[in-house]
Amino acid sequence: MKLTTIFRSTWFQMRHQPVLSIVTIAGTALSIFLIMIVVMMQEVTTAPFAPESNRYRLLYYSFLSSSYEDGDGECNGPMAYTTARQMLLSLQTPEAATAYQGIVTSAALSIPKSPNVKVDMRPVDNNYWKVFDFTFIDGAPFTQADFDAGLPKIVITESIARKVFGTTEVAGREILVNLAPFTVSGVVKDVSTLAAKAYAQAWTNLSATNTFEQSWNTIHGMLSVAILANSRDDFDKIREEYEKAHDKYEDEIKSTGRKIKSLSRPYDQETEAIAFASNIEPDLPGERRSRLIVYLILLIVPAINLSAMTQSRLKQRTAEIGVRRSFGCTRSRIILDIITENLAITVIAGIIGLILSVIFGYLCNNLLFAQPFSQTMNAPAVDSSILLHWSTFGWAMIFCFILNILSSGLPAINASRTGLVNALNGRAN
Amino acid sequence: MNKKLFTQIKNEWRTNLWLIIELLVVSVVLWYIVDFFYTKISVRTLPRGFNTEHCYRIDFNYVNIKSPEFNPDINDSINAVHMRELLDRISRRPEVEAASLSQNSYPYNGSNSGIWVYYADDRDTLQNDGYVVRRWVTPDFVRVFRYTGAAGETSEQLAEMLKENKILINNDLFMYRGVELKDYAGKKFALDDTTMIHTLGAAITTPRYSDYQTWGSTVLINVLNDRQVGWCGELCIRVKPDMDHDVIENIMKDAPSQYRIGNLMVTDVVSFDDIRDNFQRLWSNQERNYYAGMGFLLFNIFLGLLGTFWFRTQQRVSEIAIRKANGATSTDIFRRLISEGLLLLVVATIPATLIDIGLSWYGYNQWFDDGYMGWVRTPATILISFALMALMIVLGILIPARRAMKIKPAVALKDE
Repeated sequence: MKLTTIFRSTWFQMRHQPVLSIVTIAGTALSIFLIMIVVMMQEVTTAPFAPESNRYRLLYYSFLSSSYEDGDGECNGPMAYTTARQMLLSLQTPEAATAYQGIVTSAALSIPKSPNVKVDMRPVDNNYWKVFDFTFIDGAPFTQADFDAGLPKIVITESIARKVFGTTEVAGREILVNLAPFTVSGVVKDVSTLAAKAYAQAWTNLSATNTFEQSWNTIHGMLSVAILANSRDDFDKIREEYEKAHDKYEDEIKSTGRKIKSLSRPYDQETEAIAFASNIEPDLPGERRSRLIVYLILLIVPAINLSAMTQSRLKQRTAEIGVRRSFGCTRSRIILDIITENLAITVIAGIIGLILSVIFGYLCNNLLFAQPFSQTMNAPAVDSSILLHWSTFGWAMIFCFILNILSSGLPAINASRTGLVNALNGRAN
Repeated sequence: MNKKLFTQIKNEWRTNLWLIIELLVVSVVLWYIVDFFYTKISVRTLPRGFNTEHCYRIDFNYVNIKSPEFNPDINDSINAVHMRELLDRISRRPEVEAASLSQNSYPYNGSNSGIWVYYADDRDTLQNDGYVVRRWVTPDFVRVFRYTGAAGETSEQLAEMLKENKILINNDLFMYRGVELKDYAGKKFALDDTTMIHTLGAAITTPRYSDYQTWGSTVLINVLNDRQVGWCGELCIRVKPDMDHDVIENIMKDAPSQYRIGNLMVTDVVSFDDIRDNFQRLWSNQERNYYAGMGFLLFNIFLGLLGTFWFRTQQRVSEIAIRKANGATSTDIFRRLISEGLLLLVVATIPATLIDIGLSWYGYNQWFDDGYMGWVRTPATILISFALMALMIVLGILIPARRAMKIKPAVALKDE
C-alpha cells in the first residue's frame, strides 16, 4: 500500500472506532511521556549543557579517601590544594585541570551603604574557566597571574550583579565579599543548579580565600578537581598517569602514615552523577541494570495492553484482510502494512507524549530534577538547552518504534495467518 | 450461569490471555511497589528520637583574610571565646527558646565522625558492633532538637547531664546483646580508648539518621575545651512556636550590627524543613518515582480493561439482548461483566502470588524488620495490590458495562 493509503486507512479506523483509538493513543502517549520524563531526569545529570558543555570529556575527582597504613581511621572528603596539585593538576595528558571548592558556601556580598546580598559562593582556580564554558556578558575571567599573585578577584552572575549594583556592566568595580574588598573581573549568565560542578552565584579567586590553605588530616581540605581530556579516548591514559602521580605523592607523604585509596577515581560524568557517598565506589552496572528494568516495565506493560486492543481492532477487519489475501497479497506484506499503520498512531501518540513531558519538565522542575544531596536550597532552573537534546528526540523515536513492534507485531502475525476461506467469511479463526 | 461464564472466557482465550499476562506482570510489579511503601511507611512512622519543627541553622563564616577587618591576632582560643559569645547573643533573642553549638551533629547533616564505645568494667561483654557517630555538642543541643531519654527523661534533664560532662548514648546500641542501655545509667563507659572514661547520664531514644532509616547509633558528648569549640561549625536554634515567623529575615537584619564578633560573621539562616527535604531527597525522589510507577500501572489496567470490554460489549450486543429478552435484568448484565474481569484477575493473581513469594524468598524486595517476608507483611501487601487492581478493573469495566445495560433488546434484535 502507498503511504497515503496507509494514513487514510488509519484515519478511517480511528473515526470508526473512536473509543478504542482514544484508549490506544492515551496509553501510548502516557507510556512515551513517562519514558521521556525518565530519560530527561537521567539526561540532566549526564548530557552536556552550558557551562558543563564538555561533560563527555570530563573526569572528576571530588573526594579523597585515605586511611592509615594499618587500615584504621578512614577519612573521606575533599582534598587540600597540595594534594590536588601533586596528584591531579600536574598531569600532562589532559587539556586542562581545575581545583575548586567542592561545595558552595553561603557568603555575604555588598557595596558600601547597601544591605548584604546572600549568595552561593565557590572559590575556584583560574583553569576553572577553561574546563567549564561560562558565557561572559561583561569583563573576563581571572587569569593565571591573578591566581599566582592571590589577587582578590571575583566573577558574579548577572542576577547577582543586578541585585548588588543594579546593572550588569560592573567589571572592574569593587565589591565586599565577607567584608573583604574584591574586584569584579567578570559577569556571567546565571547557571542552573543542575550543573552541579559549575553552579554558584559568585566565584572567587581561590588563592585569595581562606579555603586555599584550609586542610585537615594534612592531605584533606575543601577542594575537588575536574579534569578536561582532549577526548574520551584519553581517559585510560589519564588514569595511568594519575596512578603514577598517586604513587609518587603517597611516597612524599610517607611521614604522615596515610595511604590514599583511589576507588577507581577519577570518574566520568555518568559515574560521578551517582557517586553520592565519598567512601563507597559507585555501582554503575547495577545502576544501569535498574534503569533497564524501569524502561522495560514502562514499555512492556502498555505494549501488552495495546496488543490486546490491536488484536480486537484487527478482528473486525478479517474480511478486509481476506480480500487482500485472495488478490495475491503476501503475508509479510500484510504484517508490514499493519505495523506501519500502527506506527502512524504510535508516532502521533509519541509526539503528544513528548510534548507533554517537556511541558511537565518546565512546570515541575523542582519536583522532577531536584538533586539528592544538593548543596543549595535554590530550585533547579531548566531551559531548552538542558531539557532538549537531539538525543532526547532520538530516544523518543526509538522507544516509539519498540513500543510499536511490541504492540502490533504479534497481532499482525496472527491476523496474517487467518485461513482464507474463514477470513472471507469474516470469521477470525 | 457460572459455567457459561467460564465457557465464554475460554472462547475468547486469545484476548483473555493478553489480559491475564498484563495483569500478571502488573500484579508482580505493583506488589513490589506496595511492599516498598509498606516498609517505608512502617519506618517513617517509628519515633524519630528528635524534633526539628521550629528549628533553624545559623551559618557563620570567617572574615576573608584580605579584608581590612580581618584580625590576624585572633587565635583559636580567642576565637572560641567569640563563638561562645555569638551563641550567647543568639540565645538572648526573644524568639529563641534554645541554641547550641555542635560539630557534625545536627539531624539530617550527613557528615559524621566515628567513635568506639566500651563498657569500662567489662570491655569484652559490651562494645559497639558497627559504626557509632560521635556528636560533640553544647548542652542545650538536646533542648534544641528535643531529644528524650529512653526512661522518660526530658530534654531539660538531659541537658543538665551534659553540663555535668556525662555522656548520652542511644538506648539500643548494645541491643545485639539484648542489653537496653537505660539499665546502665550512671555506669562508666570508655570512648575510643581507656583514657577517655565517661559516666553515662542516660540512654536516649535512638535519634534516627533520617526518616527513612532505623539506624542511629549516637554518643552525645559535651564540648570540653576551646579546641573543640573551634571545630564546631554549626549553630542551631529552636524558636518559640508562637514567634516562628520572619525568623530568617529578622536574624539576617541584625547580623551586621549584632553578630559581627572578632573574625566571625553570620552569613545565612536556613530552616530545618529545607535541610531535611534536601538531605532526604534521594529517598523522597525514590518515593516519588514509585508513586508515579504505581499510578502508571493502575492507569494502564484501567485503559486495558476499558478498551477490551468496550470492544466485547460491542461484539456481544445481540447476545446481551437475547439474555435481556429472556428476563435478565440490567444488574445481572453488569454483574456478569464485572465477574468476568475479576475472574481474570484471580487467575492472574495465583501465579503472581507465587512469584511474589519467590522474590521475597530470594530477597529481591526491601529489607525490613530483619527480613524480606513476614506473616503480616507478605499477605497484607499481596491483598493490597489485589484490591488496587480490582478497583481499577471495576472502574475500567464500568463504562462499557453501563453501555451494555442500556441495550434495548427490541432494537438490538431487529436485524436477526
